[in-house]
Amino acid sequence: MKKFIAILMSALILSTAVAGCGNSSSSPSPDSPSASAASSGSQAQNSEGAKPVKITIWHETDKGIAEQLQAELDKLAPAVEVKVERKEKMSDALKLVGNDPKSAPDMYFFAHDKIGVFAQMGILAPVTDFITKDDMADLIPMTVKAATYKDQIYQLPVYFETQMFMYNKALMKQPPATTDELLKYMEANTKDGTYGFVEQHSTAYYAASWFHAFGGFIINEKAEPGLNTKETLDAMEYHKKFIRYLPKDGEYNTVTTLFKEGKAHSIIGGPWLVPDVKAANIDLGIAPMPTVNSTGKPLTPYSGVQGVCVLKSAEAKKDAVTAVLRQLAKTDIGLALARSANCAPANQKCYEDSSITSNEMLMSMKKTAENVVPMPNVPEMDLMWTVTETMLAAVNKNDADVKTSAEKAQKDALAQIDAMK
Amino acid sequence: MKKKLVPYLYSFPSLLTIGAIVLFPIIYTGYISFTNMSIYHWFDFSFIGAQNYKKAVLIFDSGFLPALLRTLLWTVINVVLQLVIAFLISLGLNAEGLKLKNLYKTLLMFPWAMPGYVTILLWRMGMFNTEFGLLNQWLKSMGFSGVSWLSSNSIAFAACVAVNLWLALPFMIMIIDGALQSIDKTYYESARIEGAGFGAQITKLTVPLIRPVVAPAVILTTFTTFKQFDIVFLLTQQQGAKTGADIHTIITYAYEKAFITNNYGYSSAISIIIFAILIVLSVITRKDIREEGT
Amino acid sequence: MKNNTGRTVKLILLNVFFIIICIGSLVPILYAISVSFNAGNNLLTSRFSFIPKVFTLDNYKAVLIDNPFLLWLKNSMILSVATVVLALGVSVTGAYAFSRKRFAGRKSILYILLLLNAFPSILSMFAVYRILKPFGLVNSYLGLILIYTGTMAIFGIWNLKGYFDTIPVEIEEAGKIDGASDLRLVTKIMLPLARPAILVTSIMILIFVWNEYIFAVTFMTGSEKYTLATGLYSLQATEYTRNWPVFSAASILVSIPILIIFFALQKYMVSGLTAGGVKQ
Repeated sequence: MKKFIAILMSALILSTAVAGCGNSSSSPSPDSPSASAASSGSQAQNSEGAKPVKITIWHETDKGIAEQLQAELDKLAPAVEVKVERKEKMSDALKLVGNDPKSAPDMYFFAHDKIGVFAQMGILAPVTDFITKDDMADLIPMTVKAATYKDQIYQLPVYFETQMFMYNKALMKQPPATTDELLKYMEANTKDGTYGFVEQHSTAYYAASWFHAFGGFIINEKAEPGLNTKETLDAMEYHKKFIRYLPKDGEYNTVTTLFKEGKAHSIIGGPWLVPDVKAANIDLGIAPMPTVNSTGKPLTPYSGVQGVCVLKSAEAKKDAVTAVLRQLAKTDIGLALARSANCAPANQKCYEDSSITSNEMLMSMKKTAENVVPMPNVPEMDLMWTVTETMLAAVNKNDADVKTSAEKAQKDALAQIDAMK
Repeated sequence: MKKKLVPYLYSFPSLLTIGAIVLFPIIYTGYISFTNMSIYHWFDFSFIGAQNYKKAVLIFDSGFLPALLRTLLWTVINVVLQLVIAFLISLGLNAEGLKLKNLYKTLLMFPWAMPGYVTILLWRMGMFNTEFGLLNQWLKSMGFSGVSWLSSNSIAFAACVAVNLWLALPFMIMIIDGALQSIDKTYYESARIEGAGFGAQITKLTVPLIRPVVAPAVILTTFTTFKQFDIVFLLTQQQGAKTGADIHTIITYAYEKAFITNNYGYSSAISIIIFAILIVLSVITRKDIREEGT
Repeated sequence: MKNNTGRTVKLILLNVFFIIICIGSLVPILYAISVSFNAGNNLLTSRFSFIPKVFTLDNYKAVLIDNPFLLWLKNSMILSVATVVLALGVSVTGAYAFSRKRFAGRKSILYILLLLNAFPSILSMFAVYRILKPFGLVNSYLGLILIYTGTMAIFGIWNLKGYFDTIPVEIEEAGKIDGASDLRLVTKIMLPLARPAILVTSIMILIFVWNEYIFAVTFMTGSEKYTLATGLYSLQATEYTRNWPVFSAASILVSIPILIIFFALQKYMVSGLTAGGVKQ
């Protein structure tokens, strides 16, 4: 018996030893972001200037973009030391640790559409607590609008993304000006595994362009879903004609591969496609979005604005946060990202630089910037993605009736919005 | 007195960790289910009684019952197929004179040696994709037209069962194979001397002997299968890649109806209800489970 | 004589059966292997063949050099070994008590443990965070080890108990008469006899830890703390630059250590009861 207790004890000791090694890897070593962030917050107030203030910024973006951000913010050293750190499943993690200064970052870099959720949760501080509206005067108005939730600006926009009509110049001589022309082109050119045109037809982010061209919408600023409005229904009915000539599995990898393999003459996609497409030796052309004949309006895509938000828990480091925001409000980061990663800067001044004016794609994105619709940032949007896509997939992929599906989706959306509270 | 405490002392470390990691979350979820914790009251949530449960009744709409029945069907089909196939494969592996046994066994473990999302992604992209998937490439090279594997309900359901089998069989094979190893081979010899045929040996000897060893794993697998989320969700419901099939199990259904609302109080109530349903179902079959506990 | 040819035919058929099963079940993996050796960034192609058209090792180089793969491997190993030791420790003691001792609440506890498994764990993340945070166990390996141990302990107890029950009590009684302590009984009699079950349980725990990424992704910050599964997840998480061949290569590399361990353990999977008996 005693021996068994001895074993238990040794097991306990073993587990504390394991604990020891577990701790040592996470204990507050000087570089550990969480620990140092918390401690330097207080230091910043005691001895400003003497010791560097540390700022941690989470992101979940491309490595190249993160590196540019890091390089830009390194300019603030030694007064402010910024660590740009990748966090997988960032928005889930923020929900978990958002108000815990020990685990949460000071800022995060992300698209604007989650602002509503986080602001409503109470973990975000408006950026105007740190910088003035004058600091943001050069930003494209659309990006500021995207960053605004309930009259407060919660994000400093850095660059924006939207969709474009891209075509393979070797296969498509003249990009279609209208959707009817596009449909005709698809009829003539879709056969034997090649397609006249491909798109992510059942993804809400892409289908929204069609809704908007008809005057429909997924959800409006008052957080009212519009899935069963006449305009949205018209858009879906009309769009369904195209489905026959589109690959059924219209998800990202399928359509981009088709385009890169030269098996699709044209595609609606984002700027992130460009490097891959060029690497695949496709002679890429960029055309304005085709106009819907019946409404006279072009397909009007969503835009996503990427930028930094500040967590409330970082208010103690006001000066350092302000320095970071000011640095990112300059043209430098926009120019760097435009040159290295084809990102369209949110700062209008960037578009005066010759390296940008010579970039056909960026200039065309700038031109459409005022017409695109920023993704809604109300918290209700979070669930609209799923509801809308269930409807689209049923209609486009499983041949469900448009009207019935839309009514059901609208009912679901309303019920779930109600369930949020 | 001291002696009486010994079993508790022995089981204490395990019960403590289980208590913290498994039991506590259940209790905590139960507690949250009575509060209004949502993005509007993330930190300042308060008790609101059974309101979330009242609201949760709304989820029992037209879609819930089919999802529940589908989940039961899903569980039964998967567990039965797993048991039968794994049993046959394990018997084969234990046949005398099979020299490459260890190699086969290791190869059969391969699907299990990767994180689940990787294998599911492989199936979705590599096998089932309508344009490039191997299945459709093979069909097309044989002159048939491609099938959209994940779009229509029955084919998609079968596809999910296939992937679940693929992912879960290695575990079941390992368990049954391990159990077969534990049988004293002299039993068979005496059975053979008594003139028992192969079939009789299997049903009269093998099955009863491995039953107590395999039973816990089967019961746990049944729960896991019932709760399975990744396969159905990642194959057919992933945002940006929904396939149009409506083959919700009750977990993916609850996810789409409740969890995406960011209302933790409400989602917790749903979780507790699902938990209760599962408990009721297991209590109905409790006789079986109880027997294994003796 | 006739019996012998019958046997040979049977064995050949059996081998054919297993070769077919293995190849059939490995198709998706062969696919990944082929993609990983292929030059050009494409998982999807309309002209797929299992033999790469342009063979390259670049993807493997990219995994090993552009990513801290070896560091992730080390982290995964530390985490799995520690979890296996801890989880096995608590499960063996627990299972022994539940199998050999008779005490009030024994059956109920066993039954309740099983039922606890019925809880859909999608929501437990939040609660687990709540319980780990006060102890400073968020973003620490010990926290993850505890999570994994708690998760696997139920399986461990039940699986081992089932096996312990099959070991005749008489073997132990003999030892007890000799005055052996419980510890001696367990280490000298039960564990060797239950070796297959111990190995099966260990492998189960090992593979679970090796493949787990949801808790690891959510609770760990910074790529220097990633496990292999987490690193793999981060490799495919960015749609912009998703590189399928590199991802496939990484997936294959992640699974190889498990397969080696599994293969190496095969010969010990024979029960102490029958080892050296009919098998040889």
